Amino acid sequence: MGDDALADLAQLAADLGPVLRPRGNEEFLQALVETARLVFDAAACSIALLDEDEEQLEFRVAAGVGAEMTVGLRIPVDRGIAGWAVVAGQPIAIDDVRQDPRFAADVAETTGYVPRSIMAMPLESERRTFGVIEVLDRRQSGGEGAEDMELLALFARQATLAVETSQIFSNLGQALFEAAALAAPGEDLRSALEKRAIAAPRAQTELAELALLFHDLGRLGGEERLAAARIVDDFLAYARKRQR
Amino acid sequence: MKPAWAWQFEPGTLQRIDTQLPAAITREWAWGGSTGAGIKVAVVDSGIDGSHPRVGSVAGGAVVLADPDATRGARVIEGPHEDLFGHGTACAAIIRAAAPDAELYSVRVLGEKLTGRGAVFAEGMRWALANGMDVLNMSLSTSRADYYGLFHEITDAAYFKHAMVVCAVNNVRAPSYPSQYASVFSVAAHSGRDPFHLDYNPAPPVEFGAPGIDLEVAWLGGKTIRATGNSFAAPHISGLIARILGKHPGLTPFQMKTVLMAVADNAS
Repeated sequence: MGDDALADLAQLAADLGPVLRPRGNEEFLQALVETARLVFDAAACSIALLDEDEEQLEFRVAAGVGAEMTVGLRIPVDRGIAGWAVVAGQPIAIDDVRQDPRFAADVAETTGYVPRSIMAMPLESERRTFGVIEVLDRRQSGGEGAEDMELLALFARQATLAVETSQIFSNLGQALFEAAALAAPGEDLRSALEKRAIAAPRAQTELAELALLFHDLGRLGGEERLAAARIVDDFLAYARKRQR
Repeated sequence: MKPAWAWQFEPGTLQRIDTQLPAAITREWAWGGSTGAGIKVAVVDSGIDGSHPRVGSVAGGAVVLADPDATRGARVIEGPHEDLFGHGTACAAIIRAAAPDAELYSVRVLGEKLTGRGAVFAEGMRWALANGMDVLNMSLSTSRADYYGLFHEITDAAYFKHAMVVCAVNNVRAPSYPSQYASVFSVAAHSGRDPFHLDYNPAPPVEFGAPGIDLEVAWLGGKTIRATGNSFAAPHISGLIARILGKHPGLTPFQMKTVLMAVADNAS
């Protein structure tokens, strides 16, 4: 790697890292499941995310009964109620899980806690499916199943946004580091990023181009950076309005 | 000179049609005395347990698997298979209750992994259409924008073949496919329990309401389970459609929507 590129990258990471990095994704998700558990007055709430092969769900955060046993647990996506929600892209609530012999046995073996009821909702954006949020043994709702699901949808949306933002940041970081790693000796970061933008698959090209723009912005004066930030801000507001 | 397609409307070429619709459409006219006999319904889901007492029998089916080497990214294996989750069995039993003599087919597209899911769903729908299914129950959806065009193409093909595609809408207030298209019967749950309680929503995209909250549904191992979800509302509409088709084969999807709208509980 070129020394110039390395120096540029270090500078860029120092300048932009704190601005771009979504603070504590796991902490946010943890706070979210704790809030959801309280709101539903539930025994437990957890979020599981798909692994890279999209064959397994790994529980990343959990609150309530059996939380310690649950975090880190991996379950195949072709089993159980949470699995169905993820593969079907549909929320589902089951009120007597113990009637599902296969599910009950699977869960009892792993967490030791077999719930009576489970509500599961996929975490899905228009770009991809990330995983599932589930609530175990919420208060006896007595015919309020639909309202509970609407409420869980709001938590699911927040979790999806957090996970997606975090993954976009990782991809951006990866694009930057790959560009730096592949830079020829003496080559500066700008041309390395250009190469990366050209070589990247389509979905990542935009990210690499964005990184390139941030790189250039970072070299401008304070006023210019401020003006650019306002333009991006205005554009975002405009784009959000169009989406509605 | 005549523009393209004008030949279809030439006297002698244009076929006579029987609209079948009476002046007043009643439930008695729509499905009275019908059992759904002769109608093929595909449950595109997780498989069906044909030995469940509420299901009775499965006439046939296929498993669709993601296969990156296949032309369309998925391959089909015809033959019997189990229900991986229990959900397909729940849907089949709901349809069976409304249309006891309909032929149920299981098209298993859920399971394994998620990669290639769009291709698998699409291939399952193609199999159902190629095998003459009259009704496709799709209690599944995706928000992924990549699949918008693919599902649009297939649901249009179904519509032109007069196949009724019944789709559960997603719970999230965002586009979900294939429930989003005008060519399908999009369904969400209302809080009623009567399986014949059907509502029509005059302000779509969600057009029909059916039971889907706190229902006792069939599940794995011959058992039943209490469940909530739009995914249980869709098969209620699929069952009613099969029942209506059993009495009025040849209805088109737009006629079927007219019939369902006319006999809805909220229709005057």
